[in-house]
Amino acid sequence: MIRRTLASCLFGLALVALAGAWDGLAAQNANLGAQRLGRPYLFVFLAYAIGWGLILGWIVSIARRLRSLERRIDRD
Amino acid sequence: MTGPGWLSVVTAVAGKDLRIEFRTRSRSLTMAGFVVLVGVLFNFSIDQALVRPQDIASGLTWITLILSGLIGVGRTFAIEKEDGALAGLLLTPAPRDAIYVGKVLANFLLVYAIVLLTIGVFGLFFRLDYGNHPGALLGILAAGTLGFVALATLFGALTASTTLGESLLPILLFPLLVPMVVYGASASGRLLAGRPVAEVAGQGRMLAAFAVLAVGAGAALFGQIVEE
Amino acid sequence: MKARTGWLGITLAVLGAMASVGTLWMVFFWVPTERTMGVVQRIFYIHVPSAWVAFLAFGIVAVASGVYLWLGDERADMAAQAAAEGGLLFTVIVLTTGPLWGKIAWGTYWTWEPRLTLTLILGFIYVGYMMVRSAAASPEQGKRFAAVVGIVGALFIPLIHMSVYWFRGLHPDPVILNPEGPTADWEIQATLYAGLLAFTLLFLGLMTLRYGVERARHVLELREAA
Repeated sequence: MIRRTLASCLFGLALVALAGAWDGLAAQNANLGAQRLGRPYLFVFLAYAIGWGLILGWIVSIARRLRSLERRIDRD
Repeated sequence: MTGPGWLSVVTAVAGKDLRIEFRTRSRSLTMAGFVVLVGVLFNFSIDQALVRPQDIASGLTWITLILSGLIGVGRTFAIEKEDGALAGLLLTPAPRDAIYVGKVLANFLLVYAIVLLTIGVFGLFFRLDYGNHPGALLGILAAGTLGFVALATLFGALTASTTLGESLLPILLFPLLVPMVVYGASASGRLLAGRPVAEVAGQGRMLAAFAVLAVGAGAALFGQIVEE
Repeated sequence: MKARTGWLGITLAVLGAMASVGTLWMVFFWVPTERTMGVVQRIFYIHVPSAWVAFLAFGIVAVASGVYLWLGDERADMAAQAAAEGGLLFTVIVLTTGPLWGKIAWGTYWTWEPRLTLTLILGFIYVGYMMVRSAAASPEQGKRFAAVVGIVGALFIPLIHMSVYWFRGLHPDPVILNPEGPTADWEIQATLYAGLLAFTLLFLGLMTLRYGVERARHVLELREAA
């Protein structure tokens, strides 16, 4: 149970961070003007989304395996 | 480890493998046929209007060494399984590293003979000029072959007792062969292009280090693989 | 035993998650955009910590494999297995974030940049490590075989490293950027160190939890055997 809560907390935090980050990055780089924005932004977000997606996937898979094993241990 | 029995175990294992090979010629004939046919196919894969065969023959030689070596070394533990000779040997207190070195020695002699055939056949097919230092070329090929055979023998013993068998061997082996191909193809390519030996001394040393590391690691860990 | 590794893992993972949130804040709201490469340089803060963790994990795999072969301690094998799974995951992150960066910075998804090449080979060694474990005739044999693959891989990594650097010397990349050079701003360095700390803690925590999975499986097997 604690692991499921932990995993969903992490997932929520990551979503909030990702959503907020686009705004933050755009605001901070408003003065870059001349630099072409667009694809670099997309790629930065893709990189972080893929990276964190994989990490969260691993967390979920660990939690799932641990839960099913502990359930079997407790049942016996 | 270096007791009186050590060397005799090495020669006994190597002698047994070579005698079986000499009698049946099963591996040497398949490998020899393989390299000649690969040479033929390589010839037709090269558009001579775009690239001279001599320019890529060095790299092709190393790839052929790896593929034909896989055929030869991959079979060695399958043969052992069929006649049970290794299992019998493992019941004796014979030092495991000596058994391994004996296997590597036999495989090396077999694969090196095929490498010599390869370089001869490719020389004929692709009109190679062996340059001014054929001895250095043979040395480079020997060091690379030894390193390859040492790793392939270790992992061949390992994959032979898995459910995937020999198909797993390339997955374990190829990532570790990167240094061999990098230094070996460069060194032999330069020698075949007529460059001086001094230019490939560094690559030669790295190939020697590769071979020493491979034999050392194999001798140290072989016992873990054949342990029942 | 179960509770202890559970709490250690959760503590480390939560610390790592907190540090990660801090790092994400630094990456997206605080650190200035690098001048020559622009926005895309921000990939650096996930790419480099992942690479560090991937190689750290492989070091753990090699040491734990050695301990397992030497002492036959099941726990060492469990640690190696946990580290290998995480190491492969972070290797995949390196190999996806690297090309995304390379496409913008160098104009191509893939170059034979030595560190990227080395990580690719490391990934293949991890794959072999896992395949050997699952393809072995018995679990005992799988543990020994996997340990052998882990140790041999670690022995050859320095030589592979040298050879791919040497190969690059023959074929230089069109553009050579050295973002971690001493000229980097202190904010960039601070963000990088925060990322390294965050991923190290997160990895160690998750690896401990993953170890707990093996531990639980082991307990169950012992009980079923009895």
